[in-house]
Amino acid sequence: MDFKDYYAVLGVSESASPEDIKKSYRKLARKYHPDVSKEDSADDMFKNVGEAYEVLKDPEKRTEYDQLRKYGAQPDGSFQPPPGWQSESGFGRGGYTEADASKFSDFFEQMFGRGQQPGGGGFRQNIRVRGEDIHARLALFLEEAYNGCDKQVSFAVHDADARGRVVARQKTLKVKIPAGMREGQHIRLKGQGSPGVGGASAGDLFIEVELAPHPQFTVEGNDVLITVPISPWEGALGASIAVPVVGGKVSVKVPKGSSSGRKLRLKGKGLPGKHVGDQIVILQVTLPEAHSEQALAIYQQLADVEKDFNPRAKLHV
Amino acid sequence: MSRQDRILTVEITDADGGVFTLHEICERGECHAEFVIKLVNYGILSPIEEHHLPRDWQFDVMALTRLQRALRLQQDLKLNLPGLAVSLDLLDEIQQMRREVSRLNQRLRQLSGE
Repeated sequence: MDFKDYYAVLGVSESASPEDIKKSYRKLARKYHPDVSKEDSADDMFKNVGEAYEVLKDPEKRTEYDQLRKYGAQPDGSFQPPPGWQSESGFGRGGYTEADASKFSDFFEQMFGRGQQPGGGGFRQNIRVRGEDIHARLALFLEEAYNGCDKQVSFAVHDADARGRVVARQKTLKVKIPAGMREGQHIRLKGQGSPGVGGASAGDLFIEVELAPHPQFTVEGNDVLITVPISPWEGALGASIAVPVVGGKVSVKVPKGSSSGRKLRLKGKGLPGKHVGDQIVILQVTLPEAHSEQALAIYQQLADVEKDFNPRAKLHV
Repeated sequence: MSRQDRILTVEITDADGGVFTLHEICERGECHAEFVIKLVNYGILSPIEEHHLPRDWQFDVMALTRLQRALRLQQDLKLNLPGLAVSLDLLDEIQQMRREVSRLNQRLRQLSGE
């Protein structure tokens, strides 16, 4: 078991005052709160910080921890409590604590015990607790959201083992995702969360849908946007061009005299569902990488014919 | 039993996540109705339709996740109600802006042909 340096976690010295510890804890709890932070490790950091504070804020636990830290730490960074170690601070005997100790580390458990378990011990038969709801996120490719798909979802549920102890268990479901899911939409799967205790009903699984970025398309509400390059002559003369849509392509008429930035709306080619979206095509005039001598001569002719045109008129230059 | 055997296939019947009464949202959030009523009065939570009587209120899944987030923030950071209201509004705004920025960056990448 690795030793946990609670002082390092809170970024305070061994001699830090209770006020300093509280201050540092508050700051870090705000920083790493999983509802606030975007960092992937925020959840773990927040738990570590809470665990460290749980020990260091309490003079009794802190004294015990200081002793352990002094005598239990091995030179290789691992940790072994001294033989016959027994916590005196009452935590090991299910003493009252505000924090949910079941979420703390093995290191904490070894030192102070597991604390009280909900629905544990002899009370199990009398307690009916509805299973916990689980919230999960699911990233879909645009094509999957558009067509619907079967997706495997794994998540952790809390369940009671034979002795009534709460244990985390991995659960995997194959979910049939209907066509037309939107970013941020929630799906509810009834009864697929954590099982209930004492015959109470199971919690639900809530899945929030996210869309993975697509190399060509972007999604805005129900609409799908795409930037489509056209040649200067297609823009000037008008043309019929092939345009990708999600899962295929369609032929689109570019009107005569189309500049970059012109938007064409393809009705009903956006995301399917109750409110069917459109696809918005944004034209972008693009030149070939190199022109032939002949083409350059034609451009020169064009420049002479169109010499009154000032594309920068709006910039007053 | 192999791991593969245990994978259940489930179909979605509730693509909009369903609705919850005041009682149901309290049960799921493990909080008192008074707390939810306060959150509604502070504009932190909104029922789907305005009803005079709290027992007629109905909430969607977004409201449930917001309630659970509010409870975590209140418990973990010891926020009071006005503090909660400000935090949740700002967090929503940040999330919207992050989505907007990533969408615009994506469009920019597509435009510059990267």
